[in-house]
Amino acid sequence: MNAPGHPFAVSRFRSTAASVRLSVLQFVADPQWLIPSMIAPVIFGIVAYQLVLGSGPYFLVYAILGAGMMSMWGQTLYGSGWATGQDRVFGTLEPTLQAPTPYVYVVLGRILWNVVSGLVGGAIVYAVVVAESGQLPAVANPVLFVAMFLFVMVTLASVGVILSAFYVYTRFAGFIQNIGEFAFYVGTGCMFPVIFLPWWTNPISLVFPPTWALDALRYGSIPGYQGFAWGFGWDVVGAVATTAVYLVLAGLVFHRVERHVLEVGTLADY
Amino acid sequence: MPPDPVIETRGIRRVFESRKGFLFTEKTRTEALRGVDLRVDPGEIFGLLGPNGAGKTTLTKILSTLLLPTSGEAHVLGIDVARDPQALRPRIGLVLGGERGLYNRISARENLRYFADLFGLPASLRDRRIQEVLDRVGLTEAADRRVEEYSRGMKQKLHLARGILHRPELLFLDEPTIGLDPKSARETRKLVRSLVSDGVTIFLTTHYMFEAEELCQRLAILSKGKIVARDTVAGLRRLVGGDTTVEAYGFEDSEIDRLRHLPGVGRILTEEFGPRLRLTLRSSGSELTAESVRAALGSAHPDLMVRERRTVLEDVYLDLVEEEAA
Ligand SMILES: Nc1ncnc2c1ncn2[C@@H]1O[C@H](COP(=O)(O)OP(=O)(O)OP(=O)(O)O)[C@@H](O)[C@H]1O
Ligand SMILES: [Mg+2]
Repeated sequence: MNAPGHPFAVSRFRSTAASVRLSVLQFVADPQWLIPSMIAPVIFGIVAYQLVLGSGPYFLVYAILGAGMMSMWGQTLYGSGWATGQDRVFGTLEPTLQAPTPYVYVVLGRILWNVVSGLVGGAIVYAVVVAESGQLPAVANPVLFVAMFLFVMVTLASVGVILSAFYVYTRFAGFIQNIGEFAFYVGTGCMFPVIFLPWWTNPISLVFPPTWALDALRYGSIPGYQGFAWGFGWDVVGAVATTAVYLVLAGLVFHRVERHVLEVGTLADY
Repeated sequence: MPPDPVIETRGIRRVFESRKGFLFTEKTRTEALRGVDLRVDPGEIFGLLGPNGAGKTTLTKILSTLLLPTSGEAHVLGIDVARDPQALRPRIGLVLGGERGLYNRISARENLRYFADLFGLPASLRDRRIQEVLDRVGLTEAADRRVEEYSRGMKQKLHLARGILHRPELLFLDEPTIGLDPKSARETRKLVRSLVSDGVTIFLTTHYMFEAEELCQRLAILSKGKIVARDTVAGLRRLVGGDTTVEAYGFEDSEIDRLRHLPGVGRILTEEFGPRLRLTLRSSGSELTAESVRAALGSAHPDLMVRERRTVLEDVYLDLVEEEAA
């Protein structure tokens, strides 16, 4: 028992776990989430299958990549920022920041949950495409395919952390995210390889970790894939490096952002 | 040597800048606090009163690490709130209350569990402690219902439960009994007193004068961002002219002069009351009575109504706030 005057030490692990738990409880309590997490992947899978039907031996992988990324992207990236936006709407951002756990662990928990539900979305797409085609897709290197799939999630999550900080920073983050959404989705190669975009957009794309990871994923699953000239190995290096930069940045940014909102006094705005 | 203060502030100012409009924005500047000096001692219930918009919530948020002062210094439990908020957070509790600030789609118990984890309550203690605070605020029966089904008062109780979950040394209560039925409000005041006997210091804002009078050892009155008075209830009564109040009704200014010369009169306030003037006299001795006032005015008004009563905190509050407005 702690008498007043003997505060508890915060456990970052338990805080992160609590955040995962809260995410799950809120997910279960709110059936509208079924749409992005369960129904959308099915639709994406069906549409993508029809789109790439008959385009070479690896068309199934194309379908899975396109639709899987679409679903995972929505879950992981969008969901992470969105949850912080919800904290503003509920008025829970103030009590959460007032608690001694640094907010970044709350965000981390949500991202973990979003990664899991994003992977479920990816698995649903896979199942839909396999069911529709009646065959397992030909993948150049299945182990690499799965590994890179997970890796893409990590890079998406790193962008999600930064995005969450942005939601703490301002209540207009949602508005700005909605504008930037499509550009980001296309610009990082979620929809089709970035190499199809005008050359001058590539440097912008390379700022985002998922761009590198998605290119690596395609190298790993489609033989003869023509992505960035530097090839698979440097894609992985680039993705690891940019992700690391994002995570370090997130650590720094969260502290600064929190300070900023305490200064301007916009924590309760929504 | 007085004990180390639990809260000590010097010259706290807080300015809010906000923008209006979309393209052609216009900046507005609100000075919510204009130099607040305060001291709260361990184990006391300190009350902060003041009209709407006076800055009570702003000050509460600054002291509880949710807002930084624009200038000035605040030390809470010996910690500089601007410099090391993280060190302070586990040691204080904050109840802002209201309809928001809770996760509506999950139960009260789950809300508490989440915040218990964020406050670092060990798993072995957590569930027991949650049950204990639910009992203390009287939410045990509804604990497993979704918060969205809660009435306003039930949400208020849940806010309170969350505030005391981790046994803070210092508890900030911003209008704790707002929206509570009389019985629940009374139970909440009882809870506040029992927390104090556990050794907790309380910083409380309220609009209910009787609540402040009943609970608080010392009070400050905040008006337009400045402390206009700060004392014990008895001290505040003296400040406004004494603990006896006599109310009478007159018609003319000359009648006020007649009353002014009565023995024991500390202060006279006048207020229009229909065609009449309402005269409020304050006195600290026993010389001034309803009788002496009646005798002084009686010949002019045979049907005069004079009422003698104890000066209550509401009188003090209205006097001081009106004085500030004038
Ligand atoms: N985030 C904000 N942005 C701009 N102005 C603000 C903000 N918060 C408070 N204010 C202004 O600061 C002043 C003090 O507000 P505050 O909420 O502290 O008053 P209060 O004493 O708690 O009032 P009440 O009794 O109504 O709760 C008001 O003029 C208010 O408009
Ligand atoms: Mg207020």
